Amino acid sequence: MERQRSLTQSMSWLHTWAGLLLGWALFAIFLTGTLAVFDKEIDWWMQPELSDRGLGQAQAAEVAQRWLEREKPQASGWNIGLPTERAPQLSVSSGEQRRGERTQLDPATGEALPVRETVGGNFFFHFHYTLHLPRMIGIWVVGFAAMAMLVAIISGVIIHKKIFKDFFTFRPAKGQRSWLDGHNASAVLLLPFHLMITYSGLAIFSAIYMPAAVDALYDGDRQAMFRESRPGAEQAQQAGGGARRAGAEQGQPRGRGEGARPQAPAAELLPLAGFIERGEAHYGEGMVAGLSVSNPGRADARVTVRPLLGSRIELTKGEGMVFDGVSGRLLDAPEPSRPSLLTQRVIAGLHFAQFGGYPMRWLYFLCGLVSCVMIASGLVLYTVKKRRQVKADSSEGRAFLRLVESLNVAAVAGLSLACAALLWGNRLLPAELAGREFWELRLFFGVWLLSLAHARLRAPLQAWREQLFVAAALGVALPLLDLLLAPGAADRARLGLDVTALLLGATLAWVAWQLPRIATSRARRTPAVQIAGAER
Amino acid sequence: MSAPALMTSLALAYAGMLGLCLGMDRHWKQLGSARLSPRWQRLCRPLGALLLVLAGYAASFVWPGGMALVAWFGLISLAGLALLLLLPYAPRLVLGLPLAGGLLAGLFALF
Repeated sequence: MERQRSLTQSMSWLHTWAGLLLGWALFAIFLTGTLAVFDKEIDWWMQPELSDRGLGQAQAAEVAQRWLEREKPQASGWNIGLPTERAPQLSVSSGEQRRGERTQLDPATGEALPVRETVGGNFFFHFHYTLHLPRMIGIWVVGFAAMAMLVAIISGVIIHKKIFKDFFTFRPAKGQRSWLDGHNASAVLLLPFHLMITYSGLAIFSAIYMPAAVDALYDGDRQAMFRESRPGAEQAQQAGGGARRAGAEQGQPRGRGEGARPQAPAAELLPLAGFIERGEAHYGEGMVAGLSVSNPGRADARVTVRPLLGSRIELTKGEGMVFDGVSGRLLDAPEPSRPSLLTQRVIAGLHFAQFGGYPMRWLYFLCGLVSCVMIASGLVLYTVKKRRQVKADSSEGRAFLRLVESLNVAAVAGLSLACAALLWGNRLLPAELAGREFWELRLFFGVWLLSLAHARLRAPLQAWREQLFVAAALGVALPLLDLLLAPGAADRARLGLDVTALLLGATLAWVAWQLPRIATSRARRTPAVQIAGAER
Repeated sequence: MSAPALMTSLALAYAGMLGLCLGMDRHWKQLGSARLSPRWQRLCRPLGALLLVLAGYAASFVWPGGMALVAWFGLISLAGLALLLLLPYAPRLVLGLPLAGGLLAGLFALF
């Protein structure tokens, strides 16, 4: 009995501190991760100059090839992003795929389209795993936060006294009781999701977090490990530079430049459109995402057909079919992954959620939102509990509580506000502004900093309400802004984003409106009376 | 992607969670006790479990096996959360919702 109690106590301590100190970072990670579920759709929304021309991929590839042959004949490589369901635009870049500046092409005229520079939905994706810190530092910080999340989940299960009895219990307007109910229910009902998303997030960078095995078995040569786990990988890398994000994300060194080798003699590249059909024969109809060409116009040209992710759970980023660009011979097709690699890639795929189409995307989005609510309610719960104890406490305790309160406001309400402000900035900043994406970033971080200052200056309840109301207003009015400033751009995807922002804004407004009721019932010593009143 | 199967799966997931919920004394008193005899309560839990299994089966018409499993977890979690919120805020809708969901699924199937 004695041991049991001390276990619960120590787990409770662990849960509190792991949850509180990393909770602010975790909320940011989860909120941006949730938004990144729709990264391509946000990208599309943020460039209203683009429109869906309903162009076939083969035609698009022809247009792109003509443009690249005219504009970039000397480039070491070309990359073509073909129109797909989620990203119906045609984009090209030259040089190495991750680095090269993307140019949007008008498929009808074959000319470059002037589009606004924007951080795009990609910003949320990158922020999600780096917190906008220098890459490696960010990955380690996020990994540390994810570890704390795992600790908080497991210790939370241990200290939850009535996990089954309270399974469906939520008693609103009861102050601390309600916060605890809400925190418990959102945690317990979505426990599989919380565990899966946290664990799989850690597993993506397992080679970075736990390099010992690679160091011992391959002398630290990650490339060697990947060669062995995936026989075609090395060739594909050399041939296509095709590893788009995957290489860097899984901690592989980036593909080497081709500059060192002597150039092969000139030779004509086959029409690229033909490769799409051959890719579709392997990946299925409509499952090709893009083409990469290395050494275009040379005898050693290689064409990599990159598949759309999503036909399976396994994350096949960076994979592709490699063809000889002159003869059209198939050089390398992806083989089924070996069990060890397959395991890693299925776990990573579970995190990236590229499979299962829009219904699955919405499931991930909603589950992610609930995770955010869970983290936020935990953060608030700490202050609600502490506020009772601190009355008799030292001024030191009070100062710490004040700090936590303001950080809570800035982390939860402030970040939501900053995200909404980023979308507003995208429409309001002049389209031709130089260094426009940096202004968007400045706006995002500026609003976030202001929210912190505001949270320090105002009383907690006022700070919460004001920031939530502003965020809500920005969300609710986003459709209006969009229709006023980019009236021609409205299509299903963009209207979908507008409506989602409207609904999320309305929810925030409701929360902000409810807050004082919760706060007053908290102050009352006898919540039972309040409840009887509230339930009529 | 088939909308009727998805709606059916969601409705079944909700009904299944409702079954598990009614199997608990606290919620049985809140929702079912006035109308039904306690014998029904004992049926609720196994029936709820069965409905959850059927929800997974319905999901397998929307996605292939592994993905259906992932989606099944998400569907029952979110259905449970919807139930959790309906219980205090709109208790009258708690029992009607699966019917409405089933009806909607039927309509989707027709058109």
